[in-house]
This record gives sequence, C-alpha cells and structure tokens, in this order.
Amino acid sequence: MEKRKEYYDVVIIGGGPAGMTAAIYCGRARLKTLLIEKSLIGGLATYTSEIENYPGFPEPIGGTELMKLFEQQAKRFGVQIKLTDVKGLRIEEDHKVVSTFRIDYYAKAVIIATGGKPRLTGAKGEENFLYDKGISFCATCDAAYYTDKKVMIIGSGDAAIEEGIFLTKFAKEVHVSVIHDEGIMDANKVAQEKALKNEKMTFHWNTMVEAFEGNERLERVVLKNLKTGELIPVDVDGCFLFIGYIPNTEIFKGLIDMTPKGYIITNENMETNIDGVYAVGDVRDKFLRQVATAVGDGAIAGVMAEKYIEETDYFTNEILKAKNTVLAYVYNAVEAKDREYLMKVEKLHKKYADKFKMCRIDTYKSDRLAKRLMCEKVPCIAVVKEGKVIKHIYDLEDFERELLSCV
Amino acid sequence: MAEYRLDCLGEACPVPLLKTQKEMEKLKVGDVLIVEIDHSCAMKNVPEWARNMGYNVEIEEVDDGQWEVYIEKTK
Repeated sequence: MEKRKEYYDVVIIGGGPAGMTAAIYCGRARLKTLLIEKSLIGGLATYTSEIENYPGFPEPIGGTELMKLFEQQAKRFGVQIKLTDVKGLRIEEDHKVVSTFRIDYYAKAVIIATGGKPRLTGAKGEENFLYDKGISFCATCDAAYYTDKKVMIIGSGDAAIEEGIFLTKFAKEVHVSVIHDEGIMDANKVAQEKALKNEKMTFHWNTMVEAFEGNERLERVVLKNLKTGELIPVDVDGCFLFIGYIPNTEIFKGLIDMTPKGYIITNENMETNIDGVYAVGDVRDKFLRQVATAVGDGAIAGVMAEKYIEETDYFTNEILKAKNTVLAYVYNAVEAKDREYLMKVEKLHKKYADKFKMCRIDTYKSDRLAKRLMCEKVPCIAVVKEGKVIKHIYDLEDFERELLSCV
Repeated sequence: MAEYRLDCLGEACPVPLLKTQKEMEKLKVGDVLIVEIDHSCAMKNVPEWARNMGYNVEIEEVDDGQWEVYIEKTK
C-alpha cells in the first residue's frame, strides 16, 4: 500500500512538556506545525501525582492537569495533534520524513521530544507481570485500585518516595526497597523526612529485586539483601518501579548522534548532528530532567526551527532557484570594512544589473547561510549559477574581472 | 476485515485493558477493534500493550478527554 504524504513546516515527535512548548512557539510563529504523540498527551509528567516546583503554580498541580493546560495553549496557536506511533525518521534532499504506520509526514524541520520510558529491574519473572498484572509505573493511574491493599515500591529517588507517600493515602502497607545503606535515599530531604515518619511505609535497606512471583497476577516480590545475600519474600498485591528512565531513541539510531546510553547529543541551541533536526527535553543528554527544563529546551528549539525554515526558504527560493546568476555578498554588518566593501559590491552590481541578481547575507546573527554557501571566511562573494556555487571571491579589493568571468 | 467496538466509557484502570485483551482474542487477523475510553490512565496502558503485541494502533481524540483507540490485529 502506497503511503499517504502530508507536508508540514515542523513535525514534533513527542507530546510531553518539551514537545508541547516547542509546538507553542512554532504555532505562534505561524508555522504549519504537527505534534505526534503515541498515546496520552503530557508524557511522563502525567505519571506525577503532584507537581510542586513548576513556577506559576503556587499550589501543587496534578501532572495530567498541568499538561492539559499546555495542550490547550498549543491548540490555541493552531498546532495539529496526531495520536500515533512514529516508526522512523529519514532525511531526503529537501525534507525530513517522519513516517507512521499509514502516513509519511514531510517536514522542513523536525523536533525530537520522545522523552524516556521507565527502566525495568531485569529480575526473574518481571515480563510476566507487566501492565495490568501487578507491576506498574504510574501511582496516579493505579493508586485507587490498590485501596486497602499491600504494595511494594522499588527505588529511592524523588519519584519513588513522593509517589510512595501518595500511595499511602490508598494502600494499607507500602514497602520500599532501597539499594542503599539504612537511612540513605536519593530523594529530596523533605520527601525523605515525610516518608520516614509515615507509619504505613516500611523500608527494606540494601535490597534489590531478585524475582517477581505469582500465578495470573503478581503475588510476591522476592528481595535480596546485597550485603548478606539473604532472600526476603514479601507478599504484595502490586509493585511500582521507580528506578529511572531510559531514552526513547531506538528509531533514531545510526542517524542521530547519541551518548553510549542512548541520549541525544545537542548543542545549547538544541541542534543535533543533522541540520534542521533538534532534540529537546528528557531525551537529550543533560543534567536536570524536569518540566521546567523541558520547557526551556522546547522554547529554544521552536525558535531555532523557525529561523532555520526562514533561512532555508530564502536560500532555496532566492539563491538556488534564481533565474539569473546570483552574486551573494556574505558579510558581517558590524564590521566597518565589510560595510565599505558592501558599497563597492553594490556599485558594481548596478553596472552589471542585467547579468547578476544580488543577495546580501549578513552573518552577524547566524553564519548558517555562509556555511551553506561554503564560504571559508567572511567577507566574501559567492557566485551561484543554476543552483550551484561556482566561485568564491575573497579578494574584495579588485574583483570585477573575476566576477565577469563567471557569466 | 470486520470492525468491532468496545465501550469502556466510565471505566477505570485496569478494566479497559482487561476487556481489550479479552476482545482481541476473539478477533481474526485483519480485524479492527475500536476501544472507547475516557479515563486517561487507560490511554497509557491500552495502546502500549497493543503495540507490544505487535498490533497497529492509532488513536483519535473524539472529544475533550474521550478517545477511540483503533487496534488492528496483525497476527
């Protein structure tokens, strides 16, 4: 079956806070923007029962609720949202192609915001109890189901301890398996103090999961004491894993540069190794993964994508597709010398206006067009004929003859 | 290639997933099941389970906070 093709200025892959912020900026810049999310808009933020440190919300707000507001804002700027899974990304000459099961989306720029997914323990029997069979990753989703039941939490970071406290509002017993020595947790101090005081919480120090056991559903988690080797079976109705995340980047392997762990490498402008492809949020190699930092990434990528598209359109339409031979003067407008040469070039252009079309390219804010014209240094003149750079002139004292040789 | 509907409106996790799993067993290869859900928690596990089974999944938000999950049985 031939895949349907659809054209957009920007396609954003992933609908968490980073992707949605990028969408808000692109939409507001009046770019034709599509955001693709594989399931629920909001990403990992929707797995958080309360967000207390996102500025602008002095009272805690639910993750799902906050993400709903992001979505409304993106929609207000005309962003289109499609709920489906992205199968791949490929680069064609003028376009980046994001393919889904039925449609190939052709985009001028792509922003990757695919985030992470919960890490598994790798313990025996784990795969038998995933999803609805007792192992969960989302306390807000499943807490009510465990009312008056017994649950186990694996991990001691912010998510583990905060969601553990949240679960005590429903479950009668919350066991916590912590890999560290007694009293040591990775979570923030406030959460640690609250948890240690909570009578419903029981801690198992120096432990990891050895096995998940049960029949149809999970019935027991067997912990292993790392110091003594002792096995500790704990009967539970459910188990929550909060032992970190792994980046969702399999489909970009071989195309986009990543760290050995699979996080996408970008510069501070969110640019990846491929022109016009950006990465934002949790999927990016960075130190702090929070809604607040995701939002900053998204804003930068949104603006960078806008600039990239503007430049690409100019380069294609005014330079590559020009009927006449193009005389592109590439300069830095803050340099006095460059401005002097500009007057000279303009004067000469007037003389041969029938032979050349002149384009002025100021590199002060961005040197990307200079790179596309393959200029080794600035100022220079790049001569483009029928879509190809045929000459660079770096000696701008005397270049009339050299220029005419191009016609 | 028949199309079936499964009404899970008003049902919370894990009920929609359990019902979907049961229903998918009855389908033939090429059939499509449309699961109607309005609990956001089911949006996390129903599509993920189906994709892990290797089925094709597409979702439409038919109303604010109400979705139709299209699952095509591929094998």
